[in-house]
Amino acid sequence: MKFKINRDHFSNGLAQVLNVVGSKAAMPILSNVLIEAEKDHISLTTTNLDLGIRCKIKAEVKEGGTVTLPVKRLATIVRELPNVDVSFDANASHQVKIASGGSNFRIMGIGAEEFPKLPTSGDDKAYTLEQGELATMLSNVSYAQSTDETRYILNGVYFNFKDGKLALVATDGRRLAMVSKEMTVPAASAGAIILPAKTVAELLRLLGKGEKLKIAFNERHAAFQIDTGKDAGGLTDNIYLFSKVVEGNYPNYQQVIPKETHQRIKLERELFLECVHRAALVTSEKSNSVKVKVTANLLEITASSPDFGEAHESMAISYSGPDLQVAFNPQFVMDPLRALTKDEVFFELKDEVSPGVFKTLESFVCVIMPVRLS
Amino acid sequence: MPRLPLIVTTPALPTVVHLDADAFFVSCELSMNPQLRGTKCAVGGRERGIISSASYEARACGVYTPMATKHALKVCPDLILLPHTSGIYSKKSREMFELCETITPIVQRNSIDEGYLDLGPCGFRSTAEIEHRIRALQQRIWDDLQIPTSFGIAANKLVSAIASKARKPRGFTVVPPGEEAAFLAPLKISVIPGVGLKSEERLAAQGIRLVSDLFTRTESELKALFGSGWQEMLAMARGEDDRPVHTDHEDAKSYSVQETFGEDIRDFAEIERIAKGMIDELMPAIRADGKRVKTMTVKVRYPGMENSTAGRSLAEATDLEAPFYPLVQPLLKAAWTQRRPLRLVSVRFSGVETQGAQLEMFGQTDEKKRRLAAVLDKLNGKGKKGAVRHGHQLGK
Repeated sequence: MKFKINRDHFSNGLAQVLNVVGSKAAMPILSNVLIEAEKDHISLTTTNLDLGIRCKIKAEVKEGGTVTLPVKRLATIVRELPNVDVSFDANASHQVKIASGGSNFRIMGIGAEEFPKLPTSGDDKAYTLEQGELATMLSNVSYAQSTDETRYILNGVYFNFKDGKLALVATDGRRLAMVSKEMTVPAASAGAIILPAKTVAELLRLLGKGEKLKIAFNERHAAFQIDTGKDAGGLTDNIYLFSKVVEGNYPNYQQVIPKETHQRIKLERELFLECVHRAALVTSEKSNSVKVKVTANLLEITASSPDFGEAHESMAISYSGPDLQVAFNPQFVMDPLRALTKDEVFFELKDEVSPGVFKTLESFVCVIMPVRLS
Repeated sequence: MPRLPLIVTTPALPTVVHLDADAFFVSCELSMNPQLRGTKCAVGGRERGIISSASYEARACGVYTPMATKHALKVCPDLILLPHTSGIYSKKSREMFELCETITPIVQRNSIDEGYLDLGPCGFRSTAEIEHRIRALQQRIWDDLQIPTSFGIAANKLVSAIASKARKPRGFTVVPPGEEAAFLAPLKISVIPGVGLKSEERLAAQGIRLVSDLFTRTESELKALFGSGWQEMLAMARGEDDRPVHTDHEDAKSYSVQETFGEDIRDFAEIERIAKGMIDELMPAIRADGKRVKTMTVKVRYPGMENSTAGRSLAEATDLEAPFYPLVQPLLKAAWTQRRPLRLVSVRFSGVETQGAQLEMFGQTDEKKRRLAAVLDKLNGKGKKGAVRHGHQLGK
């Protein structure tokens, strides 16, 4: 196997697939990247068995072939090479020579036959989506995923293709974020998956390089083909992301989204975010809540921790309902406010033990459970 | 030549009062059973438990605390054993300290039966005035609660605490400011905090029996006896102490209850029932304090007094009984590994949290359980303990 490649393209390609490899791979081969050279490109593939990723980079292939090399070390070497032209030469015993300018490396590889094959999607349900739109939707909900491993069902984002729309949902049992978009969903293709948190993070990183992406899934796997666009640092064709899904039944999230609106407050998103952020500066692990109090045309945020002090913030609002006071974990309030981009959001409250609900006009809902003050 | 201002180092009045209830648990029991007054009685576990409080008549026979009940019955065969009455001690204690707070807001509750009062800000003008006021308090505690108490009045906590124990029961000792050293000098060296039985023996062997004996020794001798703490020891012997009376009530770090059985128990189901009953006993107190707990530890004791414990934490702190019930069986199995009966079992809750509880979305039933618990607490409160019980407490 022999090819010539642009150093920066090679480096960019390795950077796309690097994250998948854990620091403690179960098998040595899983620390390696599979390099396949054919026609006018090379393919780079990594996997941790739960998640796999493949990208293609333009290259001048003189002799096709395959080899695997430790990806982290290789990525570091390629990045540091002195010249932009790099030649790559692997012999039959998986020894690789890398030359660039006056610098020469010889690296020991492992044969490609040991590398686990990345499955391809077969007769799965498939949809094509806009990358930018999916990236926005994922950012709108992904912060609400649970990181508690004992609640593994919640360690991901729920994709629900149903009733003429795609809904993305994430919850950790204390807050729930949901965003949806209308799209054609043929009855035969309706279905839902829980995409693991790690895959969601990879997807968020990879989206935005091109326009479209194709998602295909069945009840065990999901695969994404992400267009890379024209000028994408040597990337060609698309990036292929393959992932296991979280198997199990996602909780009935519809039941926790309040059906009725009680008191609705229109808020300037950034101003509210800043106020909560400042008030939260006095909170501590032991007293991690901010009180939100609404009275006629006034919203006040207070926080205190016995060993540090207190904070009081106020902002003018348009409100004429009854006085209300509810306490929340400040992070739960700030996360959706940070993820949204619109200038205004609606915040709905009922009483001190009922959830607060953020809404926008774009079918976004974030339900946050309060902190019950003793 | 200008004169330097006179620096007054001791307050002119003895404003620190130490209150020590006499044989508190027994006194609480006697307040409910006055016909037993003057008898040799003690509060303690049944035959195999320990004495936690003994009347002065029983003490005269050699009963002390803590002493194994079995032993106590040997030295005092006509001892009348009174079982623990749950709830009464903390109630009486609270009422006793509330009476103290009618005099000064600065009351430090050290334990259930003992604490300090700081009369500094009360504006008393003379020692006689203070003495008069505290004697009235002592009388009022007796009149209202039938609890005998002893008081020590001095310029600081150290001396007032020693003074309250100088003449018990119903003691009343005033140490005027400046006379601390003279007051302490003829007392046994064991009155100094930190001098326990072993130290007392060790010092006696060196000829130090009284506080005054310390002053006959040279610096190097004291260093050899007390190490680096010799100066503190000397300061205490002079009656010096500047610790303030502080009112912050220290929050409970754990909640626990234990039971020594009348007869060793080998039936797992019975032990499990007892342990679950302990959860039911502790949880209302935790709710009443507005706390939640995360960790449960079960301790078992074999007849040979060897202990074994096992504990586990929930993912989230709670103030409900139900989340802990499923832990009882595995914890008991983990702790009770020897194939022998048990003489004691205890349940302890730790990981106490005060902050508001984060409500869960998919656990709405918790709120219902909490409301139910509040109703049960109300029904079982006000001395109607056990009015409503969980099914597992009904026994076999």
